[in-house]
Amino acid sequence: MPESGARPVSTEVYLAVCDFLYEEAALLDGNRLDEWLALLTDDIVYQMPVRVTRERGASDVSHDMYYFDENHATLRTRIARLHTDLAWAEDPPSRTRHCVSNVRVQPGAGPDELEVRSYLLLYRNRGDDPGHDLLSAERHDVLRRVDGAWRLARRSILLDQANLGTRNLAIFL
Amino acid sequence: MSERGQLLERLRATVRPEEGCIPAFVYTHPAVYALELERIFQRSWLFVAHESEIPAPGDYVTRHMGEQPVIVSRGEDGVVRVMLNVCRHRAMQVVRADCGNAAHFRCPYHGFTYASTGQLTGVPFQADAYGDTLDRSQIRLLQARVERYRGLIFATWDHEGESLDEYLGAMKWYLDLVVARGEMEILGPPQRWTVPSTWKLPAENFVSDAYHTAYTHASLAKLDLVSSTGFGQAGYHVTAGHGHGLGIGIQHDGSQYPPELHATFARYLSPDQLRILHQVKNLHGTVFPNLSVLIPSAVPVDGRLVSGTTLRLWQPRGPNRVEILSWCLVEKDAPDSWKAASRTAYVQTFGTSGIFEQDDTENWEAQTRISEALQPRGDDLVLNYRMGLGRPPLADFPGPGVVYEGKFNEANARAFYREWLRCLLADDTGPPASEAAGGVTAPAAAAGRRRGP
Repeated sequence: MPESGARPVSTEVYLAVCDFLYEEAALLDGNRLDEWLALLTDDIVYQMPVRVTRERGASDVSHDMYYFDENHATLRTRIARLHTDLAWAEDPPSRTRHCVSNVRVQPGAGPDELEVRSYLLLYRNRGDDPGHDLLSAERHDVLRRVDGAWRLARRSILLDQANLGTRNLAIFL
Repeated sequence: MSERGQLLERLRATVRPEEGCIPAFVYTHPAVYALELERIFQRSWLFVAHESEIPAPGDYVTRHMGEQPVIVSRGEDGVVRVMLNVCRHRAMQVVRADCGNAAHFRCPYHGFTYASTGQLTGVPFQADAYGDTLDRSQIRLLQARVERYRGLIFATWDHEGESLDEYLGAMKWYLDLVVARGEMEILGPPQRWTVPSTWKLPAENFVSDAYHTAYTHASLAKLDLVSSTGFGQAGYHVTAGHGHGLGIGIQHDGSQYPPELHATFARYLSPDQLRILHQVKNLHGTVFPNLSVLIPSAVPVDGRLVSGTTLRLWQPRGPNRVEILSWCLVEKDAPDSWKAASRTAYVQTFGTSGIFEQDDTENWEAQTRISEALQPRGDDLVLNYRMGLGRPPLADFPGPGVVYEGKFNEANARAFYREWLRCLLADDTGPPASEAAGGVTAPAAAAGRRRGP
């Protein structure tokens, strides 16, 4: 816990990370997926492990099964599929709102890396449904500075459900 | 006539599988759903877990049979038991975790303690509370009847009906290709998600529907992930009895399994099964009522074609909701690289984010929503289940069941609803003879209620 008045990183870096996350959210909500892909490093690891219900104190995050277990190639394939105009899961597209908050930044493994945690509240609505899906998660990210800009090198998504309340994961978190 | 009697008459009159006529109301009618819970899920053999999920004594997982919570427990004696996760005192849920290892289960309400066999072993302040009026040895968590087939653990509340072996019948030969081509194990916990669809639509889709892949999953051909021949109808449509069935897509480009596994397959399968396995392009099937199996088309992973194998349960959660559990199954003795590649292929193609599966939920959600809206129309929307009606089966297929050339057929859907209707219209009117409950033997009248043939 930082002493009062001090952050693990400079205010400038902290704000730059927030800008990155908000820009990323806007790209996802705007269906600008190619631009989103460009924010990822070539060696991106993007995972959402399965969670189970365990007694307090026991680990409830699986290391053996995932809802997403992606690298750059598999993410490219997913996005290419959505561009085919035949991907009915997102055609018509969902209306989403990625609400990012509670951003915490720590120095990363190297001078060009940062460990970032953020909360996500993802609203999802389809068609004429007056209701919506609400997905809550915490993201554990590694950001890396590449050619002067921050990019996402690693994301592990801890979804706050053991039984997902959305019909599919045709959207990204 | 009672409302229930009227509904049964309506089903008898309007559900005509032999003619390929299924009225849309059955998808979501609430009273039909109640009948399904009573007459299918309260009686059938239901899949609950794979043996590899509870390998050690004390291991347990909590699952459901229909909507009822059960504990699937490997006791300290190594025996697998399935028992209602309901305390005998006040119907509190005893075990509230999804999985774990425990020698006993303690109810959080009054502290009643049950061994992992289900036997009541501890009652707090027993002498003060009950004197000598409570005989713990006569009380245990209600036990289901349990049998296993090739690592698949099934349970039923019908203690007097046919065995699992009889129930599976001809489907066993085909299940071997999926779950017994070697010793198999489950990777990790199941994916779990809830979809606004009746459980019947995915069960029916997996038992019978190869026809939809060309259009529902058309994006895949456009990406060259599946060749257009992958959507073709080369293969077989197998009706395996008891509502079970499957479709097998066939290719002749060589086995989609790595050579290092072939020797194992040859040990576990018959020569006829082995030949079919090496020709499999994809395989989709359902064990009635709600266990499906899938070997999907192989996709490139790290430069080679890999296929994952998946099991799933379509758990009824109301007339218009289904909770899906999806497992990834791999050969236990395969190299780690194959297991990792299989898991990658599985997550990529099927399950919650699966690019081969995402589009299905759009269909099922809309069909369900529409069926509900159609209820006031009565019986005038009868759906066309007539594909392949009257087509003659093959005479010389090496596997059992009724086998048709070509994958485009709806015979399995007709057979699914034939069995479904038979269950709903069963002559007996009460629950099947259940095991003796808590020291009190079942009433004599219940013993006369037997499950029909």
